[in-house]
Amino acid sequence: MADGEILAGFLAPHPPHLVYGENPPQNEPKSQGGWEQLRWAYERARKSLNDLKPDVLLVHSPHWITQLGHHFLGVPTLSGKSVDPIFPNLFRYDFKLDVDVELAEACCAAAADAGLVAKMMRNPRFRVDYGTITTLHMMRPQWDIPVVGLSANNSPYYLTTEEGLEEMDVLGRATRKAIEQTGRRAVLLASNTLCHYHFHEEPDPPEDMSREHPHDYAGYQWDMRMIDLMRRGETREVFRLLPQFIDEAFAEVKSGAFTWMFAAMGYPEIPGELHGYGTVIGTGNAVMEWNLAKAREVGRAA
Amino acid sequence: MTVVSAFLVPGTPLPLLRPDNPPWAPLVAGYQAAGEALRASNPDVLLVYSTQWIAVLDELWQTRAHLTGIHVDENWYEYGDLPFDMQSDVELAEACVAGCKEIGVSAKTVDYDGFPIDTGTIVMNNFLNGDDARPLAIAANNVYHDGETTARLAAMAVETAKAQGKTVALIAVGGLSGTIFRTEIDIAEDHIADATDEEWNREMLRLMESASIEHLKQRAGDYAKAAKVDMGFKHLSWILGGLGDNFDGATVHAYGPVYGSGAAVVEFRPA
Ligand SMILES: [Fe+2]
Repeated sequence: MADGEILAGFLAPHPPHLVYGENPPQNEPKSQGGWEQLRWAYERARKSLNDLKPDVLLVHSPHWITQLGHHFLGVPTLSGKSVDPIFPNLFRYDFKLDVDVELAEACCAAAADAGLVAKMMRNPRFRVDYGTITTLHMMRPQWDIPVVGLSANNSPYYLTTEEGLEEMDVLGRATRKAIEQTGRRAVLLASNTLCHYHFHEEPDPPEDMSREHPHDYAGYQWDMRMIDLMRRGETREVFRLLPQFIDEAFAEVKSGAFTWMFAAMGYPEIPGELHGYGTVIGTGNAVMEWNLAKAREVGRAA
Repeated sequence: MTVVSAFLVPGTPLPLLRPDNPPWAPLVAGYQAAGEALRASNPDVLLVYSTQWIAVLDELWQTRAHLTGIHVDENWYEYGDLPFDMQSDVELAEACVAGCKEIGVSAKTVDYDGFPIDTGTIVMNNFLNGDDARPLAIAANNVYHDGETTARLAAMAVETAKAQGKTVALIAVGGLSGTIFRTEIDIAEDHIADATDEEWNREMLRLMESASIEHLKQRAGDYAKAAKVDMGFKHLSWILGGLGDNFDGATVHAYGPVYGSGAAVVEFRPA
């Protein structure tokens, strides 16, 4: 089988507050809502994902941190209760997900071929990280599309940001190759927040939106500058500025998901669609989509 | 005397999961010797700080009365599972939350089924507490706290235990030098990955043994930076804070490599 393709990539951050605000049956704590603008942004993203009808969702999460290489979930079904270690009051979620093990193995092999240390996670009692679960719930609460989960190797923190992101670039290119070779129609999810400065105290109740706003103006300005470039399709400029953005806005994209996704997509210079932006405990979160399938169609029609 | 024993121990699961691997066997033996010393000191409670329990907002204290389950490490899952069965000293942990507020540190209790207990705490409990099942009061590592705040937390916790008439084993779970092998190694050939790290580790252990407390504190910051020490070596601050910057010396029960990083089992003699 060949001719697989990446249909789209989404910037899909993972504050557990969004799941908490939505009150799905899987989540034990209940809220009076909150963070509506971001949750409605995800509603638009969900609709778009539904129209794409992908075979598989690939998600790279900063909360599965690995030291020895890049790891891939490799157990056909994983389930359990995910309790967020930082916000256990907001997120205690019963999950069950199916893994596309064949694609995960192909990604792992392609990453190894490209010179990375790559490993398959085969322990059935493994606890899937809360970043992966939150992003997947927000994008597809039905849990009916198989998943490939990738860890965040700590290279951007252990080495320099630039060296670390170079590894993520290699990982992205390898991921694309594996998708093409296995014939999958895939959607990529980069589970990253933008500006990551946050408040240190939670309001009571946590969903009191009168207390929610950007942590600081400089971080907000950085987010808007980057989003504006992404909306205009100025991908090269985004990546030129990325290390400075990471440094000055403490941006979570440092962990590599965003670079992995763009490398896999071939750094397309197409406008990203902003589904919405909002803050969560002061951090900046954008839900954005780069729809390659649509761009290819437009290209063919022109 | 409230603090009847004090230990700095590594939180990596590898020696527990592969005790027969020659480079790790000394750590296992060291952990066993520390466990015997702990039992001999007969504490009412283990007062624990683990670098791997990361908190971001508040200082968190575990208050779930009974913690049991099977944990799988996110890095070393292929080496096996980590079953655990622990009791919390809820009364002490709750009093520590109140005590935090008195010293200006915002704090919260954690009492949730399925809350992810960190690998370091589980490894320590398996080695040191074993079947005794003495209760624990476990504090998180808030990443925004510096060494000084960590020391104040430990001092407050010891005072709180004293007010409850309890004796404690003071325990800090964390590693030494942090340079690791980033490609697969033959674990039977494991060694400290960086020669400078090795010198630094040995110097710090000598300062602990000789109770050169001022010198130890002076060098800790430089050591943390130069040798990529786990969490800036805040676990040492937990020990020093809990001991009131005063101890008579230390026994290094073991020192060795774990995938290139440094690990030691150290027992401090409270003054
Ligand atoms: Fe995050």
